Amino acid sequence: MNNSSNRSGCEPDLRSMLKNQHKKVYSICRFFAHNYQEHQRLFINIIAAASQNIRSRKDNSNDKQTMLLRACINMAALHSISLELESAHDATIQFKSPDYQRSMSSFRESVRGISDLEKFRLFLELENIPADEIPSFTGLVHATAAGRKQRREAPAPAKNFIPYLKEKLIWS
Amino acid sequence: MELKKLLQHWNSFPEISMEERPILSSDLEKIVVKNPLSDAFYLRKKLLLRIGIIAALWLINTWQLRGEWRTDGSELHMNITLFGLLAFSLYYHLRILFFADYPTLLALPLVNFLGKLEVILDKFIWSFKFISAIAGFYLLFLVEGVLSRLNAGAYDSLTHNDWYKGLIVIFLAISIDILLLHTFIPKYRKLLATVKKYREGILAKAQNK
Repeated sequence: MNNSSNRSGCEPDLRSMLKNQHKKVYSICRFFAHNYQEHQRLFINIIAAASQNIRSRKDNSNDKQTMLLRACINMAALHSISLELESAHDATIQFKSPDYQRSMSSFRESVRGISDLEKFRLFLELENIPADEIPSFTGLVHATAAGRKQRREAPAPAKNFIPYLKEKLIWS
Repeated sequence: MELKKLLQHWNSFPEISMEERPILSSDLEKIVVKNPLSDAFYLRKKLLLRIGIIAALWLINTWQLRGEWRTDGSELHMNITLFGLLAFSLYYHLRILFFADYPTLLALPLVNFLGKLEVILDKFIWSFKFISAIAGFYLLFLVEGVLSRLNAGAYDSLTHNDWYKGLIVIFLAISIDILLLHTFIPKYRKLLATVKKYREGILAKAQNK
């Protein structure tokens, strides 16, 4: 990726921020990694993605938190997609530490059957993210009663005469 | 109640053992300059390579077209068509590259990120059509070069007939397109289908809530 601008290393504030916040990355790995290789791969990819996100935006620390959490969610989604593409994926929990293995097994048993979206929501909730901020991470707009009413009252969109051309010309 | 129980469990989670923990301090410098996207998710290098090759071919073609134009050569129409094709292919690839905007891609919210990834993959799959068409033209030039050495009469009749050349280009382009459809494209198609299924799954879950 476009990291050539700072190949020699990372900025001190970015480094300290990643060091302070790396437990958040461990947390998302609990939901998606099945063994320590997957755990390491996902961890490294999330840290790389987060540093890239933060570098691409020179904003305040609140925004850095958002960038880190978005990196966690997006990379976890790509991890899930990659596992889906693998024909023979072993989904058993395998960690060397007996304590960690036990905790992971019981945790994964308790969240078994929930979708990835629910995992993301649960992760954000466990990271104390307010419910009204969750859509800024998932990109899903709340289906609240007020929202539904607003949508009903909104004027109908203008008639689209050339849908085929629009689809071809506008990439969104 | 269930969430409270889970929260208790979550807070008492043990640390991952030292031997399994990714080394953060010493390797952080290496990790932050690593590319988080891999293989088919990251098309920047492939796009840059194609842009470089197409730009070089376009420049060579411009020079050849200039020569043909001045001498009113037999390859004028083919060169004009190839000039248009190369120019549009260059624009199309540059457009994908700028649209993808890889440094900020992962900073998007999940659904927008997956949607954008889908568009990039879809457009990249389409770009193989341009590759086939360009390859068709250059294979025709190769056929002409071979014919000029083997059979001067056949070369002469082919080089002065734009219809024959056009039909040969179409045949070669379709053949290469079929070849690509069975070799390189399935990997991207499979990935696109998986990303689409994943995004639609998330949207369906959100709507059911």
